[in-house]
Amino acid sequence: MTVMNRRNTAFVASVLLAVSAALASGLASGPASGVASGQARPERIVSVVPALTETLFAIGAGDDVVGVGTFDTHPPEVATRPRVGGLLDPDMEQIFALRPDLVVFHGSQQDQIEQVTRAGIDTFTYVHGGVDDTLTVIRRLGARTDRQADAEQLAASIEDRLAALRTRLAGRDRPRVLLVFGREPGSLRNVYASGGTGFLHDMLEAAGGENVFAELPRESLPLTSEAILTAAPDVIVELTYDERMAASSQASEIAVWDRLSSVPAVRDRRVHLLLGNQFVQPGPRMADATEAIARALHPDAF
Amino acid sequence: MLAAEDVSFGYDARPVLNGVSVSVPAGGLVGVLGPNGSGKTTLLKLLAGLLPPSRGRITLDGADIASVDRRTMARRVAVVPQETELAFDYSVLDIVLMGRYPHLRTFELEGPNDLDIARRTLAATGTTHLEQRTFRTLSGGEKQRVVIASALAQFETDVANPSDPHGPPDRDPSHTRVLLLDEPTSSLDLSFQLATAALVQTLNRTHATTVVVCTHDLNFAAGLCHDLVVLRDGRVIAAGPTETVLTPDTIGAVYDVEADVRRHPITGHLTVVPLARL
Amino acid sequence: MPDTTATLSDRRPATAGSLRRRVWAVQIGFGLLAVVTCVVAPLIGPTSISLSRVFDGTIPFAENVDAQIFFIARLPRAIAGALVGASLAAAGVVLQALLRNPLATPFTLGVSAGASLGAMLVITLGVPLTVLGSAAVPLASFAGALGALAIVYFLATMRRQGLSTLVLLLAGVTLNSLFSAIILFVQYLADPAQTLQSVRWVMGNLDVGSYRPILWGLAPIGLSFVAFARLPRALNLLTMGADSAATRGIDVLRTQRLAFLSASLATGAAVAVGGPIGFIGIIVPHLVRLLVGADHRLVLPASIGLGAAFLVICDVAARTLLSPMELPVGVITAMLGGPFFLWLLVRNR
Repeated sequence: MTVMNRRNTAFVASVLLAVSAALASGLASGPASGVASGQARPERIVSVVPALTETLFAIGAGDDVVGVGTFDTHPPEVATRPRVGGLLDPDMEQIFALRPDLVVFHGSQQDQIEQVTRAGIDTFTYVHGGVDDTLTVIRRLGARTDRQADAEQLAASIEDRLAALRTRLAGRDRPRVLLVFGREPGSLRNVYASGGTGFLHDMLEAAGGENVFAELPRESLPLTSEAILTAAPDVIVELTYDERMAASSQASEIAVWDRLSSVPAVRDRRVHLLLGNQFVQPGPRMADATEAIARALHPDAF
Repeated sequence: MLAAEDVSFGYDARPVLNGVSVSVPAGGLVGVLGPNGSGKTTLLKLLAGLLPPSRGRITLDGADIASVDRRTMARRVAVVPQETELAFDYSVLDIVLMGRYPHLRTFELEGPNDLDIARRTLAATGTTHLEQRTFRTLSGGEKQRVVIASALAQFETDVANPSDPHGPPDRDPSHTRVLLLDEPTSSLDLSFQLATAALVQTLNRTHATTVVVCTHDLNFAAGLCHDLVVLRDGRVIAAGPTETVLTPDTIGAVYDVEADVRRHPITGHLTVVPLARL
Repeated sequence: MPDTTATLSDRRPATAGSLRRRVWAVQIGFGLLAVVTCVVAPLIGPTSISLSRVFDGTIPFAENVDAQIFFIARLPRAIAGALVGASLAAAGVVLQALLRNPLATPFTLGVSAGASLGAMLVITLGVPLTVLGSAAVPLASFAGALGALAIVYFLATMRRQGLSTLVLLLAGVTLNSLFSAIILFVQYLADPAQTLQSVRWVMGNLDVGSYRPILWGLAPIGLSFVAFARLPRALNLLTMGADSAATRGIDVLRTQRLAFLSASLATGAAVAVGGPIGFIGIIVPHLVRLLVGADHRLVLPASIGLGAAFLVICDVAARTLLSPMELPVGVITAMLGGPFFLWLLVRNR
């Protein structure tokens, strides 16, 4: 492949990755679907989707998982499984070599899905959306792997915990919140925040916050600093993948907001930085993530 | 006088000129002849100070040009390259005014005198009517005349500008002003070749300009030059007045060609007719 | 080029005072254009703000939303836009003359790729976030630009005395591809959020939010502009070729060196401040040539003024068209610049 080709392909691919995987901003939404050709319990599963790998372990199918994606970090057992690439670069040869009877792909990996299907291997494709979609995916994955009971238990526990959270926070003032999930380090450029759809928005509402950009029906909004000044949120919640960010770095990243001193969240020191990929990968830990946001918004309610 | 004294030069390890000595007297009109690759253009670049000799030296009125600063040099020695390609489109007047560079300080703009001088050199080269044309739209012959005008503009002293470090009008005949032309006829048709020859002759006679012409056109050189220098493989094979240098023997020694050389009954100068390869 | 330039040249009255007048007219005219644009730009935006409130000193700044929108969200962007636009346009002019190639851009010689690599590394590796009070991303990208500059300069001067513009061009193009490959590798290793940030950085963003990056950029850009001021007439002569310029008294090597270093420095600083915003460095110089001719004494100051005004206007579009969302300013300049560039290509045939 020539340099240009590789470059273009990789660029397009990285944009795709960014748009669809990272930040809950896939334009396509709606429930994920399983290909229901055979319903026998699969015994060798490969998953390149972090949230679904995690779900597989959570519904008791972890022992059947024989290959995982590059970005999979939860649960810790995934470290013991062979890595087969990710959204961009699934290693098809290795996937076939693992002799899977089910492969879990992102919905955008059309070529790979076709390839695997042609080889007579079942696939489960995943497209994310809101919290309800995530719960549906968990149940469908349970059905596909013949672990309906475990999946139902997981989904129901998430539903119960979110409902409990709503009850606990009922009647409280709902602060106007800016939910940020991406930003150039050390500056207020390229701020990405949740609009009025998607699991981040749903989680924020469940956590007793009112999304300042609820009116905009998009999962992802690249914001100007003027928009933030004008929106004047009461609380800013910033989510980041980086679980191991040093305390000093956390402090200086929060301090970056100080220049927008007219924003109530900044003035009242209500800028929160939440670390961990549970906030940006809709999966089994969704209730944990929602509770963490709720604690940031309503510290006196816990 | 412009002189090369026992000059050698090579690109990387490949020698191009080997112990070449040439002297061009003030007011002279010297042709440099030789086959392709004989070192003509390289000699011209050395004479213009564009390349430093690896051995020997180039002198202008006795001074080693290595020690003459480039602006002074540019007011005394001008070059007309074989072809001039512009990266951007300038008017003819712009091009001629570029010849005034060595007379202006860093932030100085061309004044009325520079414009007068540019107009005079346009007139001297018969290109006044082209003044407002863009250079790229000119024919090859027109371009060459404009570049000659630009080169001539380098010489003139700005009489009205007391700050001109060159001082009052330079009429000292011992201060040689040299025009170096590289293959001036190579891309011209017959009529323009004749016109160029006539122009160079006029510049030499009436403007007291010393001229060095590199060419492989023997008849062009025979009709134009007072003296000839003949190069082969980077060495001088013959040098002297045109009449004595341009002989069948020299031509045979340089080009490996048998030639008939005789005075043309109408033009009155020597004419070379190649007969066969030796 | 066909007749447009001929007629424009014909308009040029060939009297001695006219050049002086034209130089002044261009400097004042395009300078005013830039200044007026910078003054008007902060008044435009999706939020309506009251100017009397903006400048009301009795309201504490921390409580004055109008003043914060004006002084944080708009004015620094206008100033940064002017600085970056002027730098990229001027660097484009200088490099086109240096390389004798009308299609050269400030990004041709690899400086922006170096800057991008520097920025990518900080975004993806998460190095300490501030250095000497300045955010690490712009500093790292400036360092990357200097690194690329040093490599290209070393390659172009090592083989023989003098500066080979051919080697300069080849080294720059090669370095661009090499750095792009490294950038892709770094992005490949990064997690998706970082990859999004680094992809987004490449599209350019002038929402600097403070004056500090501008002050940091001012020193190298100011230095470059001092060098630019000395260049125009030498650049005119360079367009005739190095030998022709040398025999007219130009110190060609010194001019080339000054042109390369100053243009690269300005480009590096501009990219560090605003990201690699494309097309400014090519469309502005060509537009200016259509307006004032080819003389660099007119082209350079006019490009500085028009480059500043053009980018400031593009940035107003970037922050208002999809408000509250930011439209990448590089997308706007590219959408205006791409077709224009193609038109130039066809027109130059």
